[in-house]
Amino acid sequence: MTQVFFHFAVCFPTKSSLKDDDSGDHDQDQGSPKDSEKEKTEDEDKEQNSSKKKMVVPGAGEHPLQYNYTFWYSRRTPGRPASTQSYEQNIKQIGSFASVEQFWRFYSHMIRPGDLTGHSDFHLFKEGIKPMWEDDANKMGGKWIIRLRKGLASRCWENLILAMLGEQFMVGEEICGAVVSVRFQEDIISIWNKTASDQATTARIRDTLRRVLNLPPNTIMEYKTHTDSIKYVLISYIKTCRIVSV
Amino acid sequence: MSTDVQKTTAKAIPSTRRVTISDSAHMPHDYSTTPGGTLFSTTPGGTRIIYDRKFLLECRSSPVTKTPPKGLPVIPGVTSPPSGDPTEKTQNGELLNNNNIPAPEGSNTGDDSQFEMDI
Repeated sequence: MTQVFFHFAVCFPTKSSLKDDDSGDHDQDQGSPKDSEKEKTEDEDKEQNSSKKKMVVPGAGEHPLQYNYTFWYSRRTPGRPASTQSYEQNIKQIGSFASVEQFWRFYSHMIRPGDLTGHSDFHLFKEGIKPMWEDDANKMGGKWIIRLRKGLASRCWENLILAMLGEQFMVGEEICGAVVSVRFQEDIISIWNKTASDQATTARIRDTLRRVLNLPPNTIMEYKTHTDSIKYVLISYIKTCRIVSV
Repeated sequence: MSTDVQKTTAKAIPSTRRVTISDSAHMPHDYSTTPGGTLFSTTPGGTRIIYDRKFLLECRSSPVTKTPPKGLPVIPGVTSPPSGDPTEKTQNGELLNNNNIPAPEGSNTGDDSQFEMDI
């Protein structure tokens, strides 16, 4: 109980430092990385970074992306509750990139999700958006979820993130990021967007997913709003909690 | 993104859209490269940098991708070999995780090993 309340008391205010503007020029999260393990990999590009807010810029001759993105990795300690407090502590930044080439540089030196062990996730989110429900960019949002039988995650994840990086979804600023979750008997990929109530957007994301993922027949896709996910966690861990418009 | 334009479901690109421009910085640099090109001036939010899968895969063979990014955190089993595994190295630009996919050149055409899809 205290764990969750502590989380909401602490995390919501700090999120306000995360700007979510529509210019696409997402601020670096300079606010409150409490995670001391957080690695700053953007330093290598600092010298090129004069007045721009972005920490990472495309190198000479590289192909710029519409947005900068950050890779994250998380691994849940078995048996511990999935409260977001421990989630935030378990998540690590791998690094940020601004170009196609920089993306491959990270991707080629990370294990493929299908080869991950245990209860692990890769997250790829726009720079400045934390892969958490409570981030300003996510709190009104939701996600498409696709459950995959074992053996498909690596291929589907690659197709998913290539579509995201290449702006194949055509939903403006709506995409926040993508997640691949390696679980015991299945793997899950999801793509998060900002506005769960925007049905035109969620439908277009779904249709693009079908187009780019090469999903096996009878794959089920479901859309979940983050507020539902938050309520689920609260109900699970605080049985008597009254939810006041999360 | 505003939703006031159309309540259509899976339509292509909106043909008409009113966008209030309050600052010249909001203007896209290039309006007219759509035919045969990759920039769509009417995409919600303005001009976008769009790449298809095939092009992105082609960029994979760029020399810069051969070495790990500076500051890549060492996470055993994730960004480096599992501890105790002497067989793979991240030094000297060797790729550690691509053991079960074809070489980049082979995968450029894309759909070689895609499984089938049923929409």
